[in-house]
Amino acid sequence: MTSTQHFYDPRGAVEADALAAAVRASAIKGKRLAILDNTKWNAGKLLRGIQDQLAADAGLSAINYYRKHSFSMNAAPELIEEIAANNDLVITAIGD
Amino acid sequence: MNSPDTHLSESREVQAEDMIEWYYQQGYSDGLPLVPPTPAKIDAMVAALGGDPSFRECRVPPRWGSLTREVLAINMVMAGCLPEYAAIVRAALLALCDPAFNLNGVQATTHMASPLLIVNGPARVAANMNAGCNAFGSGNRANATIGRAIRLILLNVGGGWPGELDKSTLGSPAKYTYCIAENEETSPFVPYHVEHGYKAEDSTVFVLAAEPPHSVTNHVANDPQGILDSICSAMSTICSNNAVMGGHCAVVIGPEHARTIAKHGWKRHDIRHYLWKNAGNLWKDLYFNDRYGKVYNRSFPAWYKREADAMTPIVPTPDNIHVFVAGGEAGRFSALIPGWGKVSSPVLKAIDPAAAPAGGPVCFDGTCTL
Repeated sequence: MTSTQHFYDPRGAVEADALAAAVRASAIKGKRLAILDNTKWNAGKLLRGIQDQLAADAGLSAINYYRKHSFSMNAAPELIEEIAANNDLVITAIGD
Repeated sequence: MNSPDTHLSESREVQAEDMIEWYYQQGYSDGLPLVPPTPAKIDAMVAALGGDPSFRECRVPPRWGSLTREVLAINMVMAGCLPEYAAIVRAALLALCDPAFNLNGVQATTHMASPLLIVNGPARVAANMNAGCNAFGSGNRANATIGRAIRLILLNVGGGWPGELDKSTLGSPAKYTYCIAENEETSPFVPYHVEHGYKAEDSTVFVLAAEPPHSVTNHVANDPQGILDSICSAMSTICSNNAVMGGHCAVVIGPEHARTIAKHGWKRHDIRHYLWKNAGNLWKDLYFNDRYGKVYNRSFPAWYKREADAMTPIVPTPDNIHVFVAGGEAGRFSALIPGWGKVSSPVLKAIDPAAAPAGGPVCFDGTCTL
């Protein structure tokens, strides 16, 4: 038999404004590409391979390769600022 | 007592036959039944936390939910905690949310690490924590529900749900509860927190992102070297995160082993230094004799010798080995607890914020250090 009960939400509020995602680029030719390596062993292999392939045939104006300080921590704010200021596109990956 | 309407968090009414099943349906559970909170239980827990239910203690990553005192109380009641545990759980959450701990990474990692909590000082006794027989096991309300409250908060407020923001490949049983106290009463050494500058009458929590305990058996050694060599054997694996990127680990010495070690006059610093000096791996073993190519591991300190036959420490310094005494009176067992690696630092925090060490020399075991 049902009855009226109090309930509690244990999750706590998230006090942050949602950010809109950047508009996806329609073409990459002539763009400046950032590659952000999370510094895990296999991420580096994957991303270097992508870098080589795109450098050969994608017509990018520049490919800039960046590395996080630690794979287990967020990229430093100044690194993110640098990537945003000097690039049009970013590729990142997790290779565990 | 407050009426239900004064509760800031979502205290609302629902038509339900069984609140335990209802909470399961909301997805708030760690898999075990939750204790349905009542206004009276929440009020008592908030009062034990100092009142002011909307006061935010911290934000819990990676979801970054706000841990107000009321949300803390809700999770503690759901876990089965008594109000007497409130200060311990709060101190543990503040320690976990210290940036040095990198809870964001601990929650999300593919590794099986989970926060280990070890309590020192009179708060252990006041909460009736188990530091003795079966300390890491079941059967004690404080150990079980303090650890469970932490896990519920990591899930509900931190969003560390398996497969969503918790990407652990295997997880571990320590993700239900992982909480003990140091057995200061049977330990022949000064308590851990006194070694770190606190007074014996202070109470502290220690948190370490860690694997579950690994048993160390030694029933024959009648000297410190033999017992500690067995612990070194457990430490000297090539497959722990400590082996591949240093960091910190904990060693929990059983009372019988501790008495044998102390009988020979060895102190805490002797234990730490012996373990550090004699545990480790050959560089070539860490890299499979270059079977998979030469790998430069930049996770290690620059001063490690990168040569095939060089002995590589398991952690960078003796101070990165955290020694505790716990367990029952009988049994020649200890435990190694490998850490997550250098990407998280353990945090020691006073349960009463006013009890921070005064600074200056720290004196114990007849020696003072700055």
